[in-house]
Amino acid sequence: MSSDPEGVDVCAFWVGEAVYGIDVARVDEILPRVVPLPVSDAPAHVEGVVHVHGTAVPIVDLRRLLPAGNPPRTAKPKVILARIGRRRVGLRVDGMAGVRRYTAAEIRPGATVPGVLGETGDECRLLDLQGLLANRSAGPRAGL
Amino acid sequence: MSTVDALLAQFRYRPDEECAGLAEFPTSSVEADRPPGMEEQQLLTFGLGGSEYAVALGTVTEILRARALTEIPRARPPLLGVLNLRGTITPVYDPSLRLQLASTAPPCAGPDCERPPRPARILVVRTALGPAGLWVDRVRGVQRVRPAALERPHSGPTGGVVGVLQTAEGTCTVVDPEWLLR
Repeated sequence: MSSDPEGVDVCAFWVGEAVYGIDVARVDEILPRVVPLPVSDAPAHVEGVVHVHGTAVPIVDLRRLLPAGNPPRTAKPKVILARIGRRRVGLRVDGMAGVRRYTAAEIRPGATVPGVLGETGDECRLLDLQGLLANRSAGPRAGL
Repeated sequence: MSTVDALLAQFRYRPDEECAGLAEFPTSSVEADRPPGMEEQQLLTFGLGGSEYAVALGTVTEILRARALTEIPRARPPLLGVLNLRGTITPVYDPSLRLQLASTAPPCAGPDCERPPRPARILVVRTALGPAGLWVDRVRGVQRVRPAALERPHSGPTGGVVGVLQTAEGTCTVVDPEWLLR
């Protein structure tokens, strides 16, 4: 955890042409290869579920929720196992971009893209994970 | 600056936060959602002689193919010998003596010991005094059981037996590895 109460540690990743970030405290694991089990009636952005250490975790393809684009050629697709409250969700991303620390002065609030809380000086978009996933619940089936 | 604070408050992870979109998913429950006492237990089952035994998987750190051990002169059973496990001298014990399945230990150490049978394994278990090995005839696998499926011994001296499990192949006795070494 960040010792500086004003700053934040961000797990950064590529989706399309942009770098997004979530709080590192959310991240449990980063899985390299994941083959989800499809779920019937799931919204389009839910690929399915995987079993991770005995727990079924839904896999959300962030590439279907965020603007499309070509990631850098060196990026390797991964699944980030993240926590939202007591629940866990797997986030399919185009590649990892490291862990970065930002101070409050470096953060510019303001949503350029839906689901984004703000941007940092080096154009890492801070993701509103709950907002991004909760807004999509009105799919064919309520809930992920 | 207050907008940045509000942004960070929403961005940071809190264990008590809620997400309406996720709440409906029936199988995304994490372990904490299970009612207490229903957590599955993982057991490592192994064979000794003709019977099946099991220990809690969490106590086992490693499973090694059985190999010739270094003998300890005048070692008392059930100590079979020692093993150099990546620089850590690890004593290896014979659980079948403790379980009274055999009266003498097979010669597993020293210059005139035979080659161990192919399925034989050494389970390296964590104990209060450091790692220790258990020489078993074969390792069956990992079994997940609910506590309700484990028949616990009645009151009285249990002799290291944690419980008995009914499996498709027969019964399997769950033992305390620390007791096997005593």
